[in-house]
Amino acid sequence: MTGKKLLNAKILPALLLMFIFPAIHIAQNVTVSAKLDSTLMVIGGQMDFTIEISQPDNIQLAFPNISDTITKNIEVVRESRPDTTHLDNQRLAITKRYRITSFDSGLHYIPPLRFEYMEGELARRAETQSSALLVVNPFTEVDPSKGFFDIKLPFNLPFLLSELWRFKYWILSILIIGLLAYFGYYFYKKREIPVKEIFFPTKPKEPPHIMALKSLDKIKSEKLWQSGQVKSYYSQLTDTLRRYMEDRYNFPAMEQTTGEIMSALKYQELPDKNLFHKMETVLSTADLAKFAKYEPLPDENDNCLISAYFFVNQTKEEPVPTREALEKELKEASSEDKQEERD
Amino acid sequence: MNQTVDIKELNERIKQESSFVDLLTIEMNKVIVGQKHLVESLLTGLLSDGHILLEGVPGLAKTLAINTLASIVDAKFSRIQFTPDLLPADLLGTMIYSQKNEEFVVKKGPLFTNFVLADEINRAPAKVQSALLEAMQERQVTIGDKTYKLPEPFLVLATQNPIEQEGTYPLPEAQVDRFMLKVVISYPQKNEEQEIIRHNLAQTFPKASTILKPDDIIRARKVVKDVYMDEKIEKYIVDIVFSTRFPENYKLEKYKDMISYGASPRASISLAMASKAYAFIKRRGYVIPEDVRAVCHDVMRHRIGLSYEAEANNITSEEIISEILNTVEVP
Repeated sequence: MTGKKLLNAKILPALLLMFIFPAIHIAQNVTVSAKLDSTLMVIGGQMDFTIEISQPDNIQLAFPNISDTITKNIEVVRESRPDTTHLDNQRLAITKRYRITSFDSGLHYIPPLRFEYMEGELARRAETQSSALLVVNPFTEVDPSKGFFDIKLPFNLPFLLSELWRFKYWILSILIIGLLAYFGYYFYKKREIPVKEIFFPTKPKEPPHIMALKSLDKIKSEKLWQSGQVKSYYSQLTDTLRRYMEDRYNFPAMEQTTGEIMSALKYQELPDKNLFHKMETVLSTADLAKFAKYEPLPDENDNCLISAYFFVNQTKEEPVPTREALEKELKEASSEDKQEERD
Repeated sequence: MNQTVDIKELNERIKQESSFVDLLTIEMNKVIVGQKHLVESLLTGLLSDGHILLEGVPGLAKTLAINTLASIVDAKFSRIQFTPDLLPADLLGTMIYSQKNEEFVVKKGPLFTNFVLADEINRAPAKVQSALLEAMQERQVTIGDKTYKLPEPFLVLATQNPIEQEGTYPLPEAQVDRFMLKVVISYPQKNEEQEIIRHNLAQTFPKASTILKPDDIIRARKVVKDVYMDEKIEKYIVDIVFSTRFPENYKLEKYKDMISYGASPRASISLAMASKAYAFIKRRGYVIPEDVRAVCHDVMRHRIGLSYEAEANNITSEEIISEILNTVEVP
């Protein structure tokens, strides 16, 4: 029997009776009632089943234990917490709602719900009226004799740009991040100076001869050997020369002995042969002063410093002019020529 | 030159005392063809009172070298072939019952000599090795209840064969450390080998003349101890030794996991002593960084422990020492 026929033939008169006499039970001064939002529900639909209690505020009333079903065909989806209202006449109005659903079509009977309480020494009981819920199936029943049908395909709804409006902030953020990443990458690739240099710019390194000459000037001004610090004088002098040779000729002079340094210098193109001998004299005199307590004569000390200056000045590497500097020079020369022609 | 008195005097003394060095080298070179480094190392060990561990394949004139040295110095020489059944008493000596005197008399072992060649030291068990090494350290031997001083100079040259390791008793690190130098002997050059062939075919084996007495060596050793070593050189030695213990502090982070243990303080002492002896050989009264570098490999190569990682990567102690010398700043 379909839901519609059942509604017309048997159930309707019963429902009418239920609406005329609502499910109220009055036990002395405790009143309990249960009502459904509707007596009719489509299969799988949901509605509230509300329990209302009116009781004196000095009575403890125990709610029936409804866990996940009210009857075997009616399931509880969720239940609300009891809503208690204090009335003026020392009474309480308690309301509790159960959201129910059913997946079985037919008329389902809801039995009375019992509430127990103590009135003085006497145990009492209050009951709601029974009620009924008609669950109807709105779909036509499948007749297998008519053959099998495919599952319906999902509906293809047209895409509307307006649907994206609610994501506007997300889209905007992604676009900004994307643009920033693109420009960041672009500038990183196109940069002329390393990134580290942008944040921590290093001082441009001076050419080796400038550093060496500065250091030699410092040694000269400190007048070390004049104040008896011969060892320190020669240590600083040889360190300056070794550092200069290391930077100028790219061999590890700081980690080499005098003999090894002289061997390495043999393979360098020195502008003057005397330079080699001068350097040998300086380094071997320094070795004697540093390691053999040797105290050279004042002339020797001066000569060593002079030889060091001479070596640096003779072997210094002239800086190669940059393209910009050459272009600038050329431009200046041509403008001077033009000026002369005009004159 | 306004040189300070001490160094001037010292230089004069060294020039006098080291005059035998050239002669000794000439006499050695008469017999030993090539092997300049071996001869130099023998002299360094002899003058700095340190024992030498020689490593090289058979036939590289190890025995001939020490034999020649003993003949030049007019000293006693013993060669002991170390075998697995050797006993400490075979080295040190023992007490024998004399029927004639009806008492135990001491029979001194071959260790009571000036130069000892302990051939293939790693073939004898640990108890024999330790008996020898104890004599090397203490310079005395106890037989029965009497202690006997070993003659001066006393120099032990032990040899090891690097290729045959089966059935050997490798020297423990603590015992290897007692050798001042570990000298690795390599093959002679082509022209040197040609000369060796000529000598052998003609059966003309030159003989070295005796030019020194043991007392000369003892006196030279005293002068070697007086060779001036500046504070800067001492710091350089300490830096080299410390770089084997804490390579990361000397820009040698790559060797941090390669070295299982660094050189001991005995290495610092040996490096200083050997540098002084080398300066003496070069007839100088003071040590320069070149001297330290010249002896560094021989002093350090057996004192650096390599980790499994180093062995897996074929890293040798030679490479590590070379890298250290190229990284530690010379004063």
